Amino acid sequence: MKKLLSILGVLLLGCDPFVTEFEDLSNALMYEADSKSNETYDSGNVKVVTWNIRFGIARFPFFGDSCGDDVILDDDTIEKNMAAIADSLNAIDADIVLLQEVDVSSKRTGYMDQVQYLLDNTNLNYGCYASMWKADYIASDGIGRIDAGNAILSKYELTDAERIQLRLRTDQDGLTQYFYLRRNIVKAKIPALTQGAKDFYAVDIHATAFATDDTKQQHIDKYVETLAEIQSSGNYFVTGGDLNSVPPGSEFDYCLLDMCPDEKYEDENGNEIDYHSIDSLTSGPHKEGAYFNNFDGERDILLPLYEAYDAAIDSVDANLPIHLTHGPSTSYEMNDIKYDRKLDYLFTNGIWENTLSKTHQAAWELSDHLPVSAVLNVGGE
Amino acid sequence: MKKIIFCFIIASLVFGETKKWDAHSAYLLPQKRWEMGLFQPFRYGYSETIEYSVHPLWFFVMPNFSLKKSQSDFAGFTSASQYKIVYPTPFLNMIAKEGIMGIIAPDFQMPPMLGLSASWLMSKNMSGVDLTLKGGLDLGFAFGDLDTRSTIDLPLVYHRLGVYYNNWGFHTGLDVQKNISEKIGVLVDADLRLLPGLNGNYSLEHKLLLSWHKSENFRVLTGYKFVMGEYPYGSDMRLLPYIPIFETWVPMIEFQWARKKQ
Repeated sequence: MKKLLSILGVLLLGCDPFVTEFEDLSNALMYEADSKSNETYDSGNVKVVTWNIRFGIARFPFFGDSCGDDVILDDDTIEKNMAAIADSLNAIDADIVLLQEVDVSSKRTGYMDQVQYLLDNTNLNYGCYASMWKADYIASDGIGRIDAGNAILSKYELTDAERIQLRLRTDQDGLTQYFYLRRNIVKAKIPALTQGAKDFYAVDIHATAFATDDTKQQHIDKYVETLAEIQSSGNYFVTGGDLNSVPPGSEFDYCLLDMCPDEKYEDENGNEIDYHSIDSLTSGPHKEGAYFNNFDGERDILLPLYEAYDAAIDSVDANLPIHLTHGPSTSYEMNDIKYDRKLDYLFTNGIWENTLSKTHQAAWELSDHLPVSAVLNVGGE
Repeated sequence: MKKIIFCFIIASLVFGETKKWDAHSAYLLPQKRWEMGLFQPFRYGYSETIEYSVHPLWFFVMPNFSLKKSQSDFAGFTSASQYKIVYPTPFLNMIAKEGIMGIIAPDFQMPPMLGLSASWLMSKNMSGVDLTLKGGLDLGFAFGDLDTRSTIDLPLVYHRLGVYYNNWGFHTGLDVQKNISEKIGVLVDADLRLLPGLNGNYSLEHKLLLSWHKSENFRVLTGYKFVMGEYPYGSDMRLLPYIPIFETWVPMIEFQWARKKQ
């Protein structure tokens, strides 16, 4: 009987889902550096950075998010890029790092566990990870096996790490949705930074980029709700990520800038149509991910965050050229543009040392997003 | 059409190694008898000592041919040797493409490749159970630059194509078949593939099939295939056939036909 149960057990293990779906709330995957640096927090400010590292492919012309048509980067270049990202993080010397687009077991990046790599090659000791795209095989464009997501890295121990599911896109057919991304918020407690009776949380998000329905609004609403819960419980947080939203008052139409040579919009019937002309901004059709006015209120979607919390880069400065954080990877080659919009943010319900907030634009060659760092005035009101 | 061909080929890897009617035993088909299945190759008893087989649908996208030759009995076992040749390049280039069913990244152009395989098979009936032992050498030749990033890291597929990246490998296996009634038979097998030096160097496949012999000329099979192995991303196992969207295993069903040429 035991043998039979063992055989059945093995067979059932062979039935792991082909595409991993997630509960609304689940545990994040915990990591530790192979060799931890001796970091203990006693007092003083806490430095935080957010960075969408584009799974370590730097400015590689990847087919999915630029005008490139390549899919799989070679292992040596991945290793070199990740080493450069680790060097940058060491130079910034943050206590808490919020990462988006991190691969942990993907064909496209040689199955490197990038969370573990960064922990082992920086002064960060602890990590937690939440998949946004996990499948045995994506049978499209040679993507193959994929496991990519968000991660929080920290010098100090992380506990109570949660993966909070964000709503799926509704502007896709069922088959596409099944194989598509499942975006999330990852949240963790950092006991070493507890201030009196107030717990300290780090919250990391990567909101939808390409949805043309109200998914982005749903994602930001869930994010605001998650932060409000921490706030109303009387606790502290630092938070940030790639919100894929422009600041209030920003340009909102990048369709023609992001358009690839001879690219056409393809409607649901497969007909090819020109994108809108520059003087007909609202009429469409618009390029997915390049237009930030898909629904009423999208241009001001971040106002609740700016109004409720302290922004590392305040809304007045957010559209200044020195604070732009994103440019598609091929935009430099095509239009001599390194970065042309701000999509990456840091907020806290504490207080930033505003003069120390920085967008690290020198790192533009390491991703299509730039790191943003800020220093939390711990104990400041 | 390409999707249908690809699904058919994947299904063939699951269904394609049933035994008796004796496809993978040392026994040859009687002269002028042919057998084929939905997912099985077409086999033909050319003479009392030679049988050949070819997968007719695969042939147009992945030319292939196999020949089995009877050998002198060895240690009381009926023995045979088997030789296979396959040219997978056209099919692999079909699926190295952009968009849906782009199994291999379009970055890669697959060079001409040739696969050769030689096996030794030994079969014996022991107390009403047909036992077959087999083993052999696989060789893979790529006539051009074969990028190691172009592998298809899926059960059944990775280790079959692995020989082109590794240039050589071994295979061995054991088949046990028993008729439990006049019409019903059961087959259990296990096959090990070794690709020494490759990142993801082994796979173990096991199959259990029940067969219902309606007549000498038609039978139906059902069962499962279980695959475990080492892949570039680590160890993995899977029960097949598996339907991704419904996230469930379903029993395989295979129909096979046979006739004797007059």
